[in-house]
Amino acid sequence: MSGHGQGTAPATVKDRADLALNDEFLRKAVKFTTERLRAGKKNAAEDHGNWDDWRERGRQIRLHTIANLDYYLNLFADNARANGVHVHFADTAAEAVKLSLDIARHAQAKTVVKSKSMVTEELHLNQALATIGVEAIETDLGEYIIQLANETPSHIIIPAIHKNRYQIAELLSKEAGETLAPDTQILAGFVRKKLREKFLEADIGMTGCNFAIAETGSMVLFENEGNARMVTTVPKTQITLMGMERIIPSWEDLEVMATLLPRSATGQKLTVYMSGITGPKRAADADGPEEMHIVIVDNGRSLQLGDPEFQELLNCIRCGACLNACPVYRHIGGHAYGGTYSGPIGAVLTPALKKNVAEWDDIANASSLCGACYEACPVKIPLHEMLIYLRRRKVEAGEGKLLEGLGMKGFASIMKNAGRFKTVLKLGKLGQKLVARGGEIRLKAGPLKGWNSYRITPSLPKQSFRDKWKTLEEEIRHGLQELDPAAKARMEALVKEREQEGGGHGHG
Amino acid sequence: MADRTHTRTQSLLLSHQEWLAQLAEESLAKQKTFIDGISSKLRRPRAHTPPQHPYRGAPDFWRTFEWSEQERIERFTDHFKSAGGHVVRLSNMDAVKQFITEKATELSAKYIVRQNQQELDDLGLEKALPDARVSTWNSDAAEAWKARAAEADIGVVVADCAAAYTGSITVMSSKDKGRSVSLLPTVLLAIIPVERLKTRLGEVLIRFDEAGRENLPAGIHFISGPSRSADIENDLTIGVHGPGIVYALIVG
Repeated sequence: MSGHGQGTAPATVKDRADLALNDEFLRKAVKFTTERLRAGKKNAAEDHGNWDDWRERGRQIRLHTIANLDYYLNLFADNARANGVHVHFADTAAEAVKLSLDIARHAQAKTVVKSKSMVTEELHLNQALATIGVEAIETDLGEYIIQLANETPSHIIIPAIHKNRYQIAELLSKEAGETLAPDTQILAGFVRKKLREKFLEADIGMTGCNFAIAETGSMVLFENEGNARMVTTVPKTQITLMGMERIIPSWEDLEVMATLLPRSATGQKLTVYMSGITGPKRAADADGPEEMHIVIVDNGRSLQLGDPEFQELLNCIRCGACLNACPVYRHIGGHAYGGTYSGPIGAVLTPALKKNVAEWDDIANASSLCGACYEACPVKIPLHEMLIYLRRRKVEAGEGKLLEGLGMKGFASIMKNAGRFKTVLKLGKLGQKLVARGGEIRLKAGPLKGWNSYRITPSLPKQSFRDKWKTLEEEIRHGLQELDPAAKARMEALVKEREQEGGGHGHG
Repeated sequence: MADRTHTRTQSLLLSHQEWLAQLAEESLAKQKTFIDGISSKLRRPRAHTPPQHPYRGAPDFWRTFEWSEQERIERFTDHFKSAGGHVVRLSNMDAVKQFITEKATELSAKYIVRQNQQELDDLGLEKALPDARVSTWNSDAAEAWKARAAEADIGVVVADCAAAYTGSITVMSSKDKGRSVSLLPTVLLAIIPVERLKTRLGEVLIRFDEAGRENLPAGIHFISGPSRSADIENDLTIGVHGPGIVYALIVG
């Protein structure tokens, strides 16, 4: 269940990150794209105005829906069925795969054309289809490239972010049987022609689902290329795999999601295509699928329900804004996370879905806990806090030694109490004054040691959102005062000392 | 021989229907345990009445937001163009006919597919473009319409709605309005009667809530420019799968 197809992948995030960092192009490409997306988001969000009101509304709609998921999911299933959709429920990945393969067998399918779906990545459905002799073809340009390279996506929104056009030209030339110039238009033109044949001959179209509208049983897809429209228009059978939490109550609510999702993902006002599909084709229609299946997948999602620390994970709308905001992701890229979902959301979601604290990967440590993910999140999921909860649960499960091995020595005991994190953040900022030079931290010691052995961490913002947050519990504040007044005093004295000597060199 | 094949197909079809019926039965049973499982995780009995949803839809300040017609046209034009589309303002359907005829001639279009809509019948493109083959969607049950659309140079549609704030055209499917017509041709020409151009996306979306499940078409599509991708080195590529050239013709 490693999520990257190749059994030889390095075992720890640190090893994978080392690999990623050896690839200069990857680092530059990831940085370029994420910065562009981030700038685009900032522009789109500012341009839109009242961004925080929209975020808050988005959060409320998601909170409300998840809090009443039994009602809304049931309503969706009933309505979709009334629309003529074959609705299925899968508790586990194995069940979802079995259902999909059954449908493919009964459709006597040879090929399946797919539009982007993180759920099918989660299920490793392509490999499963291959075992019964069905070829699954990814049709999103980036996904198609990744599939030809036999790799997995490294970014939710731009899956082939780690490949340059020369590498892509080489891959596509092999497929074309002739040499294609490393020119974007030529390469995309080849893919258009090639995939058009595939769309027209495919037996099944397979999609994910961005949102499912409970009151009308409709499924909604956001995309830019038109391949999701192809997949839901041309083949005879459509299979949609949907996470059980994708629900929103109404089309009205979709306006809020349509405002938040594209702006957060790519900085667009709206993706080129937004499609609402309500059932299979009507009897008199001349296109659209004749048979439509929706497989509603749990696969660990319901484990977050009723868990006060993690229920909000289900609010995620899969925009990727937290990836673009995360200083760690921007340095190491998606594959370093080693799961289907990367970045801050992946760091929390991967272990949460598996509910296996003792064995979860070391990805929760792959975070500077700076809160940038929270501030970027269009539905305000407190991911940085969840990372702390995960660390605590891991420590509680007796994984403390591993933490120490990863350079978290002395940090682990603090992390046992999630509340103390706020304290740590404050102390961290104080401590940082001692080691930061020119806005960067280069010190290879203390809790950030594991990180700084291979990257430069941006300084924590002078005033984090936490400092501004008025809901700090009194108890925690007392905790701060009681925690280590001596250490605090020592640090303050050191800072003062340095200011006096006007020092600027040293640790480096 | 033909008879036997027919019988075999029929029996296969029957068993397929039986299999679907069996799946439906399993699904209904599973739905109960699946949903009950959610209720128990939420630590309360299952709710059967609609919960109060005080945060439905856009924030209040947004609901009254509206541009004048002139502003809607200007903003739609700005947004659609910045997404790589083209916008032409035309005074009446005669001007639309002239524009389409000239554009088709200029691009030397051989195959044109259009929706089966009265406004398009009235344009008389078939006569105006004698060198092109103009097909009307689903006008002949024996035709392979998806293939006709896939080979078409130009698709012509009349939009059901448009939203200026996001620069989006809305098209809804029906017997006479193929989803393929706005998707498969290389060039898309979408006629937007100006009175259908709204300010906000929400003005279009709320109609689907009001219409209710039974009255929705199978496909509702919002189109906000030409098909695009930035998957190769962030280099913007146009026309990856859908139309690479899209004209919005605002008329009236």
